[in-house]
Amino acid sequence: MTRLPEQGGERIERDTEVSFSFDGRKVTALEGDTIGSALYVDGQRTFSRSFKYHRRRGLLCCAGQCPNCLVAVDGAPGVRACTEPVREGMKVEHMNASPSLDFDVMRTTDLVGGPFTPPGFYYKTFIRPRRFWPLYEKVLRHAAGLGKLRKSQPEREWRTEYRRRHADVLVVGGGAAGLNAAATAAELGADVILADEGPEPGGRLLAEGGVTHARGLVERARAAGVEILQNAPALGTFDGLVPVWQGDTLHQIRAQRQIFATGAIEQPLLFPGNDLPGVMLSGGARRLIGMYAVKPGTRAVVATVDDRGLHAALALIEAGVEVLCVADLRPHPNGGPSGALQRKNVELVCGSSVLEVRGRRELDSVVIGPPGTNEGGRTFACDLLVVSGGSAPATSLIAQAGGKTSYDEARGHFALAHLPDGVLVAGEVTGHAALEAAERSGMTAGADAAHALGFGDADSRERADADRERLAAPPARESAVAVPPPVMSERDGKCFACLCEDVTAKDIHLSVEEGYDSIELSKRYTTTTMGPCQGRMCQLPAVRLMAKETGTSMSDVGTTTPRPPWHATPLGAFAGRPFEPAKRSSIHARHRELGANVMWAGDWRRAYDYGDPKAEAMAVHKAAGLIDVSTLGKLIVRGPDAGEFLDRLYPNRFSNLKPGRIRYGVIASDSGRIMDDGTICRLDDENFYVTTTSSGAGAIYDWFTWWLADWQLDVHVVDMTQGLSAVNLAGPRAREIMGKLTELDCSAEGFTYLDGKQAEVAGVPCLILRIGFVGEVGYEIHCPAAQGEHLWDALMDAGREFGVQPFGLEPQRLLRLQKMHILIGQDTDSESTPFAAAMPWIVKLDKEQDFIGKWALEHYAEQPAETALVGFTLSNGHVPTEGAVVMPENGSPMGQVTSARYSQQLGRVIGMAWVPAALAKDGARITISDEDKRLEGEVQTSPFYDPDGEILRS
Amino acid sequence: MSYVLICPNCGPREVTDFGYGGELNPRPKKTPTLRELGEYNYFRRNVAGVQREWWVHRSGCGDWFIAERDTRTNQVHWTKPVSEVFGDGPDTAGAAAGGADGGGAAGGHGV
Amino acid sequence: MTTLAFLSPGASVTSRSSMERHAIAAGATMEERDGWNLAVSFPGEQSALATAGFADMSHLGKLELQASADDLASIVSTSVRERLELGRATRAEGAWWCPYSAERAVVLCPPADTAALREHLTRAAADASGLASVIDTTTALGALTIAGPLAREVFARFTAIDLRPQVTPVFGFRPGSVARTGGAIVCEAPDRYLMVFGAALGQYVWTVVADAAEHLGGGPVGVDALEPLDA
Repeated sequence: MTRLPEQGGERIERDTEVSFSFDGRKVTALEGDTIGSALYVDGQRTFSRSFKYHRRRGLLCCAGQCPNCLVAVDGAPGVRACTEPVREGMKVEHMNASPSLDFDVMRTTDLVGGPFTPPGFYYKTFIRPRRFWPLYEKVLRHAAGLGKLRKSQPEREWRTEYRRRHADVLVVGGGAAGLNAAATAAELGADVILADEGPEPGGRLLAEGGVTHARGLVERARAAGVEILQNAPALGTFDGLVPVWQGDTLHQIRAQRQIFATGAIEQPLLFPGNDLPGVMLSGGARRLIGMYAVKPGTRAVVATVDDRGLHAALALIEAGVEVLCVADLRPHPNGGPSGALQRKNVELVCGSSVLEVRGRRELDSVVIGPPGTNEGGRTFACDLLVVSGGSAPATSLIAQAGGKTSYDEARGHFALAHLPDGVLVAGEVTGHAALEAAERSGMTAGADAAHALGFGDADSRERADADRERLAAPPARESAVAVPPPVMSERDGKCFACLCEDVTAKDIHLSVEEGYDSIELSKRYTTTTMGPCQGRMCQLPAVRLMAKETGTSMSDVGTTTPRPPWHATPLGAFAGRPFEPAKRSSIHARHRELGANVMWAGDWRRAYDYGDPKAEAMAVHKAAGLIDVSTLGKLIVRGPDAGEFLDRLYPNRFSNLKPGRIRYGVIASDSGRIMDDGTICRLDDENFYVTTTSSGAGAIYDWFTWWLADWQLDVHVVDMTQGLSAVNLAGPRAREIMGKLTELDCSAEGFTYLDGKQAEVAGVPCLILRIGFVGEVGYEIHCPAAQGEHLWDALMDAGREFGVQPFGLEPQRLLRLQKMHILIGQDTDSESTPFAAAMPWIVKLDKEQDFIGKWALEHYAEQPAETALVGFTLSNGHVPTEGAVVMPENGSPMGQVTSARYSQQLGRVIGMAWVPAALAKDGARITISDEDKRLEGEVQTSPFYDPDGEILRS
Repeated sequence: MSYVLICPNCGPREVTDFGYGGELNPRPKKTPTLRELGEYNYFRRNVAGVQREWWVHRSGCGDWFIAERDTRTNQVHWTKPVSEVFGDGPDTAGAAAGGADGGGAAGGHGV
Repeated sequence: MTTLAFLSPGASVTSRSSMERHAIAAGATMEERDGWNLAVSFPGEQSALATAGFADMSHLGKLELQASADDLASIVSTSVRERLELGRATRAEGAWWCPYSAERAVVLCPPADTAALREHLTRAAADASGLASVIDTTTALGALTIAGPLAREVFARFTAIDLRPQVTPVFGFRPGSVARTGGAIVCEAPDRYLMVFGAALGQYVWTVVADAAEHLGGGPVGVDALEPLDA
């Protein structure tokens, strides 16, 4: 039992026991413990096995920064034991070791694998013989990764929430600086959110005797109205948008100013065996003592490069740990904690560090001496080595926001050199490590953010200026730092630069030898910085090694690009809520009731068919069919210039269209390519009703309004696409059905082909267009969407005695193909011109009006097209796949099939295809190659059904 | 990419609210040569730097407007209504505005 | 029939919201009023309002006005004393007057008033100096009112529009993306917002709003459960 007597500010509740299981063993903990602290008290020293070599790893940072304590909790892999609170009954299991954490057969990779598993070994080995690859793959797949995901785990299904947040100021990091920044900004009137990744704000204060002070700051911030998000790490910055993950909620925070008080990350030291359980960072040891009252060891050695390790040594002594020796890399540490240590009779060895550590399962001795000495040194038998390799400012989030860092020679790390607009920083990330300076920099940043947003007054500005001045003055006693060498010694044993991916100093040496001599290349080759710690523990050591190996400076090596997510996040957080805007016609429910097969068509849900597309098509020919075409784009274009506006947008003419008449239009871009098509009905002198294709509606509305913004014509455009239902009633009995529902004269003479009339149908005000997309006498009826279902019902009821059938998209495609009516995007592509698509008649180059596409179309009119869109028929019954290739006798493909169907009405296979222009004549023979079949076809240029349009005009 | 644009009518909104119309690409005032037509249709300056471009507040007011943006940083220097940039009245914008399918609406207005 | 009469629902046929079926499935009591089949109440609606209740308001009349800035101002001035101001909805005679730009506005009015207001505005538009349009877009837009202390939390789950009271106060009008589709929000009263969106997206938007609201303890409410605005 290594639980200490009560520590001021400890997080545990000594009266409340919590029990959980670890690999089946029952562990009793206290409320407030983390899995890590509880297991440590229970005697566990090995927490995980490493990625490649399956080496034992123990607690290192105790702050969720390193990969050493990753476990699976209740089936969820990748949980950090050192920060995850214990819960009654939770099931904790080790990862990446088999059969057990204590006995792992894959350990052999470490014992024999050194020479066989250099960086990139997976590119170099397991290649030959090739036929063994399936076996290799199985082995590698088993070996790769850390945890195991079960494919189905219903018990882990949980809901994640997206929550958009807005604030004046977002503070990331709840240490002394962040709390001061948040409180100051809020006190000046700003709306402030503070996101802190820990279970309680306070940062280093929590473990370093400042709990009371931290809680005071929290109280002050809350009183000023700061909203504090706990257990809420920021994941990245995206142009000012900061996602913060908290439990099951992803806060997406947009604040006008962001203050990053993200602190600094304590760095490890590189020496042979530096990953052995028992080697712990000073911050980790202090967190175990201060927050969880855990005695981290009995006999300890401390190795440090600055005062941080000395403070840790004092804390260890306070906790009853015997400190045998403190190795300080600085030649002359003096003042402050060194004096206190001497008074406690702790041996302080200057200019020295750890040369190697020994121990089989865990640490049992440490060798101390001046760096680089490969022989000798003083050996201390101990069970704990506390190291502190200096600090690296946590600048990743700031760099993602556009901040830049540069190498600070004196401190031996990359420090902030440039901040983007709207981003402020405070605390240790800026180098203000001492409490007073950190707090003052927080107050300054908070005040600056608030002032920039117009809060505060002359007094508050004066205070901020004074604080800034005091910050700028050099502190009375600068805490000196010794910059550690890349590795302490060249002795035997692996010296890990990257704990996540098991990359050693030697691996980086090899990667440079192989030519990966830039840090970004080396990163990708060795995968250093790409593991769970995201460079927190390995970026700086890797840069040091690269500088040494390439013989360049730290500045020249530089850092890798920091990318989100900065903090490990479950994938579910990114899966988020499904926003899939689905448009539905107002008649949609009826289609469902009629048994429609519903499919996506653009962003609409549409009836594909009602079970029997062939019968539906035949009903249109034999009696009548009703199809919902509400998805068509529907625009009102009105104004004195409306005719001219359309004349400028379409290659054909609309200004001379008579009121009450309809004309087909194809819209082209200035490159002369077909964009969309539709019908246009002139309602009266100043009002046109324009329909577009279903999928083109949005783009054409934008196209119209864009040109209107440019031309400034006296025209208004209103998009009624979603406001109107539209149905097409077509077939030989359609006229009789209409006659039952409207007083409008629907006779062949009274309502002719391409007339557009308004009338009530079944009591609903309608615009009725006599057009013939499907080739039979048809009425396309448009009405207010709120009454579309009523119109549909009325037409179905009235048509029942005549045999009306609903028909879907699929039969419509067949029916229009019989008429050779093209589908934009199906029969045409972004290269198709109206000439090539067999519609030269639609281009009116003699129009006095300039129009979009005119110049290009003039050019194409003179240049015979190389390919042409034609119809074809096939004599045998095989329907070619859309996209099948049109072949010459011999040679390469020269065209493709765009549409093909079997027509029951015509008794043969019909289709459309792009073919060489020379073949675009009736009776030309083409060969279609459809996978293994070759089909002989005959070109036809006029519609397959009712070629002269007699039925339509009847 | 998730920066904020200020719609001249609606105020600041996430960029996903908007449709992009590409850099200003004036439509020729008179019949272009084939080469001029090709350049207008298919060539863009595509600067790494500050450019003026068309945007439409598709999810909001629906208006087209002009923005000046640094393509390297996505910093938007200003946004203005079309009339403020080109003046009012028929066709005044034609001198400097317009688009074709190279990067604009015909291509589907993708952002 | 006049030129654009086919845009307005006929008086002799019941009009139905695109969310009607969802409302019925959620247990609504339906009642026909002013030509619309309305969800007037839901079981448990009072407890929903204690967090966030949402009511289908698609039956509101919607009239789109387009004209030059001066003409639009003078047309509006025949009904509203104040000048419209971008970013703000003006409440007059039971209607919301919502300017999308200096040249375009949408009026949201009680269904019973729609026809008369449309006639009145059309007459005013005829007197305008230039082109002026009054288009009945009633059926083009769906509408939901979301009310209750957690109303803003519901919105936070599907829109990036900033609805904090200091940014969007009562009468604030915010066109923008809702649930990844075009829309607009009017702050009708403290903790009460009216949202409009494309009518064909009604079922989708209902699903999104219901999912967000129900997770927070809210749910659908009938039009009668909402406090009258001009009381």
